[in-house]
Amino acid sequence: MEKVLTSLAAALAIGLSALATAWAQSRIGAAGAGTLAEKPELTGTVIILVAIPETMVILGFVVASMILFTLK
Amino acid sequence: MSKVEIVGPKGMLREVLGFLRDRGIMQIEPVFKGFIEKEDEEHIRSFLPDEKTLGERLFLEDLIRKIDELSSYVQEAPVRTIYIDPLSILDTVATTIDRHIAGCKELFERKEKLEGEASELHRYRLFLNALASLFRTAERTPDLDFIGLTIKEPGMVGRVRTLLSQITDWEFDLLTETAEDGTLVGLITIEKSMSGKVKKSLSNEHIPELTFPPSFEDLSFAEKIVYVQKRISLVLSEKEEINRKLERFAHRWMPIYTRVKEWSEERLSLLRTAASVFETRMCFFINGWIPSGELEKAGKDLADVFRGEVAVEEKGIFEEDLVRVPVILKNPPYFRPFELLVRFLPLPRYSSFDPTPFIGIFFPVFFGMILGDAGYGLLLAGLSLVMKRRLRKRKELRDAFTILLICSVYAIFFGILYGEFFGELGSTLFGLAPVFIERRSAIKPMILFSLSVGVVHIILGLTMGLVAALRRKSRREALYKISMILITVCMIALFASFFEVFPGLLARPLIIAILVLSPFLFFSGGLLAPLELLKSIGNIISYVRIMAIGLTSVLLAFAANRIAGMTGDIVIGIVVASLLHIINIILGVFSPAIHSLRLHYVEFFSKFLEHGGRRFEPLRK
Repeated sequence: MEKVLTSLAAALAIGLSALATAWAQSRIGAAGAGTLAEKPELTGTVIILVAIPETMVILGFVVASMILFTLK
Repeated sequence: MSKVEIVGPKGMLREVLGFLRDRGIMQIEPVFKGFIEKEDEEHIRSFLPDEKTLGERLFLEDLIRKIDELSSYVQEAPVRTIYIDPLSILDTVATTIDRHIAGCKELFERKEKLEGEASELHRYRLFLNALASLFRTAERTPDLDFIGLTIKEPGMVGRVRTLLSQITDWEFDLLTETAEDGTLVGLITIEKSMSGKVKKSLSNEHIPELTFPPSFEDLSFAEKIVYVQKRISLVLSEKEEINRKLERFAHRWMPIYTRVKEWSEERLSLLRTAASVFETRMCFFINGWIPSGELEKAGKDLADVFRGEVAVEEKGIFEEDLVRVPVILKNPPYFRPFELLVRFLPLPRYSSFDPTPFIGIFFPVFFGMILGDAGYGLLLAGLSLVMKRRLRKRKELRDAFTILLICSVYAIFFGILYGEFFGELGSTLFGLAPVFIERRSAIKPMILFSLSVGVVHIILGLTMGLVAALRRKSRREALYKISMILITVCMIALFASFFEVFPGLLARPLIIAILVLSPFLFFSGGLLAPLELLKSIGNIISYVRIMAIGLTSVLLAFAANRIAGMTGDIVIGIVVASLLHIINIILGVFSPAIHSLRLHYVEFFSKFLEHGGRRFEPLRK
């Protein structure tokens, strides 16, 4: 039972953060595409803005790994 | 970049500007503040063009506008190069251009009119062809009237039917047919007495009725079809004739006009640049920027060409100049292709660093660490070499494949370290064993490895920030950067001791060190400093993506080999494995590239790079 709960916790840690990243990137990506249509010179800034929420899923991955490896 | 002032006698200004334009080495600054000493400012004024120069400028602007107008009337076609001296034909061209514009404009307008008519006739032809079958079925009596309709939506048929039933009390017939272009056309047959009422109702409901031009009125239905065909062929032949005339004109005259336009634009750019120059009673002053490497040669050449009458003086760059010093990226040949990746970002300031060498060193390493497969690396290296040869003339694509080639070499290197060749195929076929780490199972060591890379990269970024602060002589910022580096190192060591990577005994001295350093951080960085510190820790954790993305790549390669093995047939197995590996290679190019770039743009460059540089735009042809 404990193993199931640990795995579920790890899955939630990465799953929820992935959903959050996806939601944030969808909003920023749509706005970024609009921005690039008008100002292509802002490519670098838009890449950075789209990339920023990715940290959430990486943090989720780290937390999931910590749950799996430390609570083994 | 050198801040320079070029001085010479006023009469030589145009020649000097021409010289600078031909060399393309100087960006002219249209202000004298910062170039001229304060006490001399009252003797200096903007260069005022004389009446002749103003007249020439207006004449050239008008001529360019006329040539542009003429070009808009003739078809765009490759123009042969002519080597005639434009100055010798300038007066002739100025005389002929009005006549040519008038002639070409007339032909062009006639052509547009014919195109409009041809399009209308084509629409009538479609309609008439579709109606031909309806006319055969409709009863023809003198008491009946026929109304043609263009129905845009199929749902409108029902609306028309309801409308007609209300007006005519069901005494009508509505036949529909699809025209060649897919439009639905309809024919309403009603009593002549109802015709006016029906037409008015259709107009009120915005249902378009197809009306023919007056020239069609006296023609029968069959005659209309023949007339339309004949008229279309006449219109098309007349249009062809006009096209031929315009083509002949373009072939004969456009090379001359194009040459004159090029010359006029060059001349005009010189006259306009003269507005950015300053003068005293006798001399002109050109202020601006020349790349330091070019300065000595430029000074010597100017002295030689103008027999020592024109002097170049290098001025000192002050702190207030730093925001306006133009920036040019110059790198050794190995790093030059990586400028492609730097161009996505705004230019760095003159007082900051050129990010190209950093991206040139770390980007391929991160790419190789993520992809880390010798087989994929070999394939990508081969592809890059072939594409580089094929795309010799397209610089940007060639640079992209040069970057891919360098990245592939690192992917091969890390592939050998991880013992991966198309996943675990290398170990199955040739007994290839991991030299450093086996990525698929050693998840925790790979996380620690990625974090270590992150620590080194972020600390390097912070150190560069410290160097930039020292270069700007900003002591407070330098103290902030040093405090940040020390506290970050202490915090990482503290975490490492919590997770038993470092001895647990280290925890207490590290906490004391952090507490001692914290006031310096608050003093130099303000209240937001702890937030920045947390951001740096988050940035380091972000490097875990090197392991995470790499793990997905290796697992996909493993899955490809497994699925291929499950087919039980050697040929099908090879096909399936090849397809899956190709998908993985495509993902393996984009994913590591995007994530490596992100690690640079977001995590690394934010520690030291100052954007907002001004692009070096020299006066050139």
